[in-house]
Amino acid sequence: MNLKKLTAVLLMLVLVASLAACGGGAAEEPEASTELNIYMWNEYISDELIANFEAENNCKVNLSYMSDNADAITKLTAGGGQEYDLIMTCDAYMESLVAGDYVQAINFDNVPNATANINEAYWAAKEYCVPYLMNYIYVVYDTERCPIEITGYQDLVDPALAGQIGSVDGARNLFPIALVALGYDPNSTEESEIAEAYEWLVDYNNNVVAYGGTELNITNGTVSVIFTYDGNASWAMSELGENNNLVIAPFESDPVQLGFDLYVIPKGAAHVDLAEKFLNYICVPEVMAANLEEFPYSCPNDAAVAVASDTYKNDPARDFGYKQNVFFQEDVGEAITIYNDYYQKLKVGE
Amino acid sequence: MKKKNRLPALAMAGPVSVWMILFVTIPMFFIIFISFMSRGIFGDVVYDPSMESYLTLLDSTYFNVISKSLKVAAFTTLACLGLGYPFAYYIAKRPKDQAAKYITLIMIPFWTNTLMRLNSWLLLFQTSGPVNNFLQNSGITDAPVRFVYTDELVALGMVTSMLPFAVLPMYSSIEKLNKSLLEASADLGADAKTTFQKITLPLTFPGIFSAIILVFIPSLGVYTVPDMLGGGKVLYIGNIIKNQFGMIRNWPLGAALSCLLIAITGLLIFLYTRFTSIEEMEVV
Amino acid sequence: MSQRAKKKKSLKLLADFYAILIYAIFYIPVVVMMVFSFNDQRNNYYWAGFTTKWYGELFNNHALTDSLWYSVVIAVLATLISVTIGTIGALGLRKFEFKGRRFINQMLYIPIIVPEIVLAVAILVVFMTVGVRLGMGSILIGHCTFCIPYAVVTIKGRISGDDNSMEEASMDLGANRLQTFFRVTLPSIMPGVMSAAFLSFTLSIDDVVMSNMLAGAKQSTLPVLILSMSRSGVTPDANALTTLMILIIVIAMVLNNYVKSALKKRRKKEVNL
Repeated sequence: MNLKKLTAVLLMLVLVASLAACGGGAAEEPEASTELNIYMWNEYISDELIANFEAENNCKVNLSYMSDNADAITKLTAGGGQEYDLIMTCDAYMESLVAGDYVQAINFDNVPNATANINEAYWAAKEYCVPYLMNYIYVVYDTERCPIEITGYQDLVDPALAGQIGSVDGARNLFPIALVALGYDPNSTEESEIAEAYEWLVDYNNNVVAYGGTELNITNGTVSVIFTYDGNASWAMSELGENNNLVIAPFESDPVQLGFDLYVIPKGAAHVDLAEKFLNYICVPEVMAANLEEFPYSCPNDAAVAVASDTYKNDPARDFGYKQNVFFQEDVGEAITIYNDYYQKLKVGE
Repeated sequence: MKKKNRLPALAMAGPVSVWMILFVTIPMFFIIFISFMSRGIFGDVVYDPSMESYLTLLDSTYFNVISKSLKVAAFTTLACLGLGYPFAYYIAKRPKDQAAKYITLIMIPFWTNTLMRLNSWLLLFQTSGPVNNFLQNSGITDAPVRFVYTDELVALGMVTSMLPFAVLPMYSSIEKLNKSLLEASADLGADAKTTFQKITLPLTFPGIFSAIILVFIPSLGVYTVPDMLGGGKVLYIGNIIKNQFGMIRNWPLGAALSCLLIAITGLLIFLYTRFTSIEEMEVV
Repeated sequence: MSQRAKKKKSLKLLADFYAILIYAIFYIPVVVMMVFSFNDQRNNYYWAGFTTKWYGELFNNHALTDSLWYSVVIAVLATLISVTIGTIGALGLRKFEFKGRRFINQMLYIPIIVPEIVLAVAILVVFMTVGVRLGMGSILIGHCTFCIPYAVVTIKGRISGDDNSMEEASMDLGANRLQTFFRVTLPSIMPGVMSAAFLSFTLSIDDVVMSNMLAGAKQSTLPVLILSMSRSGVTPDANALTTLMILIIVIAMVLNNYVKSALKKRRKKEVNL
């Protein structure tokens, strides 16, 4: 009787285990190069571009979307190569990712368009990534509705702006502006400085109405000031038409952040050949130029910008004087936990 | 005595037992185990026993977030009970087939996505949305009122998405109420208020209890409603736990927070089982 | 007396009004969602004019239609698995005394009384540690884990005390266990099984927390996709899709009702003849 019981239990276990394995089993694809799995931001690449690439290479592109930059890091450090062939991340994490051996070196013989067209100045960790788009994170405001003139980050904590600001989110986007306003290194690793930045951000947070959806909140009148990406500002400006009151805040001395979204191939990716083809494809000037029509962000691909439409080239969202006064997000290593703790504290409130 | 055949028992209770052990017991014990481990540099779990996560929880940040989450959950539960009980009573007093239709009418909106319905509130109350247009066109307000990203809108979203979970169990226990008891009470001269206090309320308590459990606990862990309607400004315990396993990558802390949440709900259940048996809990 | 009747009438009116108000709370978001599916604005943040184009474009948006299909497949499978395990489990736990029965009964309440996020991360951590690949299998397991307890609880509530005597009678009359199960036991608890199925399907198709945690690379369920859209505005084609979904469900229900009542009438006629 006992033996019977044991067999039954074992049988049940096998049954359940095989069910559990199903998820893995079904995902196995015999033909490697007919599909490409990409993990990136939602609403950040043209459907047409994807469709054309699929048609050209007779393959299926599976896009899945992250909701935070750190999602990509989670996927990469949790063995992302098993599931993805390309992951979008940003420049700030590259150092750790390379050091942690989570990303593969890219064979640029297969990606000649990248080498030919991408501006070297905007290309860090060159062996391991291909930059896709880049964004200035700056301040845009509505001259009609905003009660004050904004010429630096310090103006953002003016109590007059209470309930007026829409902002991008994320520890590494918010803390740098506080650090700059306080006169520190935007990539500081000093706890005391970050703590001070936290205090500054508490005031900023009091003025903020919502994080995310900045371009929508300024077009429908919920906020009058946005701390946002240039591509989103461009959308808002064109949505409001020619006679909009939006201006890019004329910063006097504060630098703005320039961030890069780039593609990396995770270690152990299954479809490297197709991933490289894809990277090469998006670096074709005409392809990227068409993509820029839909996603009017700044672009490190000089050749693509050269052939882009006049609408893109004359976009008011990229027409500002302090483009050279930028800082980059650097890898802060272990200090990221300090940032995260204070960021959490900021969002929890007192 | 005849030797008992155990096979039927095994075949019937076996699958559910195995499933629960594999996917509830083991994960639950594992999460408790992880909460006593430490965090690695890359956000991995290092199997090195430590109380660090629990010590971190002593920070006022976590105390604040928990008390805030408890407040929101308590508010949602009270609002759902207050709004739901009369409504459940109303339906339960209809003829049987009519009541069934009324219940179906509650369920239909739930087959549309909850997030889509939350988004609808956002669209409706948008600064340039229908409600504001109406207010301005009718001259009630001069300038648009900002309804979006307020605590009130989050509360509205919480209550509307949780209300059915309060109505359904209360409905089924009111419906089961023995009519003759109510009649007897009336015959014995009790007025409506006394009957309600002495008969209806105590006898429908299991339904109320289920409603509290089914509303309070999900409200405590929810993160989608504040995410969508609160403008990402306020984080609740659900967001914090999610973040530990997502962007912040501190599994032991996330596990410790989960354990704390289990302890809170466990305490709640314990208090309630003093008055009623959990086996009596009704879901639908 | 007429005073009392008047009072009663006004009370009833008040009650009706209250019920309408509650239904309004449930249906306003649905109506708004339907209206905005005709909005001529991609980000769907304010009304920009009437269009039906999203219904046409809906079928070109594969991300949306694929994820709906994925959600439906998962919900159907989760319902089947949960109801099967839940039905025989409820009977087994009710009928048989065995060591650990109390324990399993308690375990069944855990998914109900612990916030979903906790169960989701617990399962995720085990899967990551053991090396289970995330995908449909993992989402399905997650969904079943919270559907099974609801199924068991719902069905257990419908098992009445006199079931045993019916079953014994059936066995005495020479039916074997399986025959007894399908001919006697199952029909008697069918209403419970149906509502368990109904509940499981509803919980699964609308779930976002568990799916978000346990989703793999290739596909996400519809709620997870909508969540990822939410910060930049949910696009009107998602409204269009949900509108179609609810219309299909309502039509199916009305048809089902109609067929049922027609059958009833016919049966009545036959009896009368």
